[in-house]
Amino acid sequence: MRSYARGIQIVVMRDLDRFWKYKWWLAGLITMNLTDLFIFALIFNGIVNRAYIDNYLLFIAPGITAIATFASAFSIGREVGVEVRRGYTQYLLSLPLTRFQLSIGRILGGALRGLIYQIPFIALLLILYWSIPSIEKFSIMIATSVMLTISMSSLSITISTAVRSFDLQATMRSFTYFVLFFFSNVFYPDALIRKYFPEILYIIISNNPVSIATSIYRWIFGVMPVEDPLILVIKMIIWCLVFFILGSFFYLRNLMA
Amino acid sequence: MEPAVEIVDLVKRFGNTIAVDKLNLSIYDGEIFGLLGPNGSGKSTTLLIISTVYKPTSGDVYVYGKSVVKNSDEVRKYVGIAFQEPKALWVDKPYEILLWHAMVVGYSMSDARKVVRQVMEDLGVWEYRNKMFSELSGGNKKKVELAKVFIQKPRLAIFDEPTAQLDVITKHQVWNMIEDLRRNGSTIIVATNEMSEAERLSDRIGIMYRGKLRALGTPEELKDGIPGGDIIEIIVDGPVRESFVEAIKNDIDAVRIDLKDAVIRIYVNKGEEKIARVVDMFSRGGLKVRQISLKEPTLDDVFFYYTGAKLAGDNN
Repeated sequence: MRSYARGIQIVVMRDLDRFWKYKWWLAGLITMNLTDLFIFALIFNGIVNRAYIDNYLLFIAPGITAIATFASAFSIGREVGVEVRRGYTQYLLSLPLTRFQLSIGRILGGALRGLIYQIPFIALLLILYWSIPSIEKFSIMIATSVMLTISMSSLSITISTAVRSFDLQATMRSFTYFVLFFFSNVFYPDALIRKYFPEILYIIISNNPVSIATSIYRWIFGVMPVEDPLILVIKMIIWCLVFFILGSFFYLRNLMA
Repeated sequence: MEPAVEIVDLVKRFGNTIAVDKLNLSIYDGEIFGLLGPNGSGKSTTLLIISTVYKPTSGDVYVYGKSVVKNSDEVRKYVGIAFQEPKALWVDKPYEILLWHAMVVGYSMSDARKVVRQVMEDLGVWEYRNKMFSELSGGNKKKVELAKVFIQKPRLAIFDEPTAQLDVITKHQVWNMIEDLRRNGSTIIVATNEMSEAERLSDRIGIMYRGKLRALGTPEELKDGIPGGDIIEIIVDGPVRESFVEAIKNDIDAVRIDLKDAVIRIYVNKGEEKIARVVDMFSRGGLKVRQISLKEPTLDDVFFYYTGAKLAGDNN
C-alpha cells in the first residue's frame, strides 16, 4: 500500500515540479486574474445596481478566486495534450506504475497546482474582507477548492485525450474554458441572472462547478447568503466524481492503442 | 532454457494495416536477442506490445510467465525500454528527467542521485545535466534515453535502435554497457537496422519483414542458411573446360558456378569445409591456381535473402 501511494506521489510531484517551469505563463496568469479582479471592480462598481451588489470588488473577488483556481488546474490538460502529440505518453505507459496510479497521479497533480495557485488569492480574500472564517467554514472552503481543482484537472485531461487532433484539442479547451468562465455567476448575482435570463440558462449557470464554488466562497465570506450550503457541497461532490471518473477513463482509454 | 518472453500468435492491427501478423517467438532468459528488420517491419510495434504500451489485437505475450493482456501491471515491473525516439519534454533537463525515472523505478532519493550521476558519467552526458532537453544534440538526447534503462537495470531490457545517431566510439561504449547489463542478469532485446550491431551483440537474431518473422537463429546459422551463400573465388592460369566446371559442381554440391575468363566463382554452402577439396581438384586437373579466396555472407546478405529486399539498381 505504501509503495502504491509512493507511485502516485512521484507522478504528482513531477507535475508540480513542471508547474514552476512555466514561470512566465504563471506570471501572465496571475496578472490576468488580478487585472480581471481590479479592472472589473473599477469599471462596474460605479454602475451596478446597489439593490443587487453593494460592493462590486468584494462581490467579484471570490469568483475571480474560483476562476484562477480553475484556470491553473486546467493547465494540466495543455501538458497532457503536448505529451500525447510528442509520443511522450508511451514512456509514461511503459513505467512500472499501474494505470490507476498514473491517471490518479496526473489528476491530483493538476489539482495540486490549482490549490497552490489559489493560496495568494485566498490571502487576498482574507485581506479584502478583513475577517477570518470559522474553522467549519474554512474546512468547507478547502474541501470546495479540492473538489473544484480535481474537477477541472480531470475535465482538461478528458478534453486533451478524447480529441486526437492537437488543433482541435486547443480549440476544445478554449471553448470549455470560456463556457465555464462566461456561463457562471462570477460576474452577476444569481438573482439577477434568474430575473433577466431564461430559466434553463439560470439552471445551467447556477449548476456550473465554477458558479457553485463561487457561491460557496461568497457564503463563507458573507458576501451572499445561500439557501442551503450543504446542497452546494453535494453538487460539488457530484461534479468532482463525474469529472474524476471521466478523466481517469479517457486518459487511460485514449492513450492505449 | 526458460523463456523470458513468449510471443504467441501475436497480431496487431492499426485500422486496415497489419503491423504484426501472427508472430510466434521465444526469447530466452539471459540472452541478447537481436530483432532485425527494415522500417515498418513491425519491430517497434512488437516491442511496444512487450512493454505494455500497446495492446495486442489478438494473441498474447508472456513476460516471465505474466500475460501483457491480463497482468500488464506485473509485466511492467520486469520491463524497461529505451525508445527509438527519445521521450522527454523539451523544457526538462537531463538530470531531472533521469532522477525522476530512477525514483519511479524504485530508487530512494539518495540512491537515485548516485546511480543517475554514475550512468550519466559513463555515457558522457554529466556535463549537460542542467541543459534543457531541447538544447541537446541528437546523440546526447539518445544517450539520455538509453540512460533510463541502464539506471533501471530491468530484468528485461529493451533497446529500440540504441545506437542510431551515436558516433562510433559511443556506439562501442553502449554495446559494452548492454553486454554488462546482460552479465548482471538482464535479458536483452535489441531492435536494429544495423547488421554490425546485431552481429556484435546478439546470441540469436530474428528477422522481421511485413509483420512476420522470416528467419530465426544464431548469426552463423542464419548465414549458413543462405543456399550458396559462401563464394569461393579462384583465379587460374589458362582456360578452364566446361566439363571440369561441371565436375566440380557435382563433387562439392555447388549451388552455382560462374566462369568468366580466368575467374571462377563457386557459390556453395559451408565454403570453409569445401575449399580444400576445390584446391585439390584444381591441382589434380592440372590447373595452376594463382589466387583463391573465400567470401562468407554478411548479415546484409542474410537480411536481403530473407526479406527478399533488393538494393536500388541491383538486378541479381
